Amino acid sequence: MLSEIERLPAQVAARPHLLRLGRLFSETVLIRVDDVEHYLVFDRGRIEAVLPGPSKKIPYRFAIATDGEAIAKFWELLPEPGFHDIFGLVKTGRAEILGDILALVKNLRFFKEVLALPRGARVTGESA
Amino acid sequence: MSIEPITGRYVTLQLGGRPHRIYFEEAGSGRPVLCLHTAGAHSAQWRHLMNDADVTGGHRLIAFDMPWHGKSLPPEGSETEEYLLTTEAYIETVLALIDALELEAPVLAGCSMGGRIALQLAALHPERFAGFIAIEASDFQPAWYDIDWFHRPDAHGGEMGAALVSANISPHAPAAERWNTLWMFMQSGPGVFRGDLSFYTQDDSLIGRLGQIDTARTPVHIIVGAYDLTCTPEDARRTAEAIPGATLAVMDELGHFPMSEHPEGFRPFFLEALDKMR
Repeated sequence: MLSEIERLPAQVAARPHLLRLGRLFSETVLIRVDDVEHYLVFDRGRIEAVLPGPSKKIPYRFAIATDGEAIAKFWELLPEPGFHDIFGLVKTGRAEILGDILALVKNLRFFKEVLALPRGARVTGESA
Repeated sequence: MSIEPITGRYVTLQLGGRPHRIYFEEAGSGRPVLCLHTAGAHSAQWRHLMNDADVTGGHRLIAFDMPWHGKSLPPEGSETEEYLLTTEAYIETVLALIDALELEAPVLAGCSMGGRIALQLAALHPERFAGFIAIEASDFQPAWYDIDWFHRPDAHGGEMGAALVSANISPHAPAAERWNTLWMFMQSGPGVFRGDLSFYTQDDSLIGRLGQIDTARTPVHIIVGAYDLTCTPEDARRTAEAIPGATLAVMDELGHFPMSEHPEGFRPFFLEALDKMR
């Protein structure tokens, strides 16, 4: 499991504006990086659990599938063009969105900011 | 505390046989430069250049809100209409505004869908203009999103639109201007962003017209940001290469809304573009 994703629950919990943006978001989201699966279980914006995969039994609403090099570039402080946004990764063929994309789009600002938190953590040296 | 030099007024235009009350603002004096905003936003995207003395010292910048955008209200009867912008309606609006304001051969500066229309006008009505600055502009590219996402009864289209177009803003953009830029999309009326995108993502009529643009009469300068996912540098380069004599500048640290998201980064490119219009 990626340490950046393991740290997400505490990072989300420490940001009141994210909890407000995500207050109607209670879904499970799969983040797959190469062959490593992470199931993020959201409850009203909080990440209640990060469950390791692989699993055929955990239902998810949508999934982001990418590769380790792409997500590392995505998490750089100033990503190069195409790696600065999840739709950039998708448009350049470095990521795929699976499942209910409309559920993602309805919560797009919230989810984008959650997935970009490791970027902020690297800037501030934040560990939690 | 200071009062900015930008002034705003209204003018009523007959568009599609109906009166439309159009908001426009201007600053500066000299050669007129008519500025077109992107889809889903309004004239405030030009606020920084209109407050830039190096720009307004020799130019009269005029920016207006398209009907249904910003302070330009929809026409009477709009409550039962589906808003769908067309190339023809956009061109009619630009030419009607030039007539109403009695602008003598303005430079036309447009961004995104405004840049697309600038190139359409370069092909169809060049005699009305002194030159064209086409920003984040290309011949055509299909949507990489579903435009129907942005007009639904169960979600806020403006917030979704802003979250989507944030993909087009450079990480080098100052945070304050990133959020000012996104706020305009959040303000957008129901179905307006979708209605703008319908022509932008479906009407490919410009492709066949690029070859008839005569840059010897009216220069065409295309500017594109490297972080633009919608009109990529490849899209802009392909378009510039199809217009004999057109010039191209690629901005390494900017995105799809350069005049709004990163004014300091954009100003040298805009000043260079104005120079090319001489």
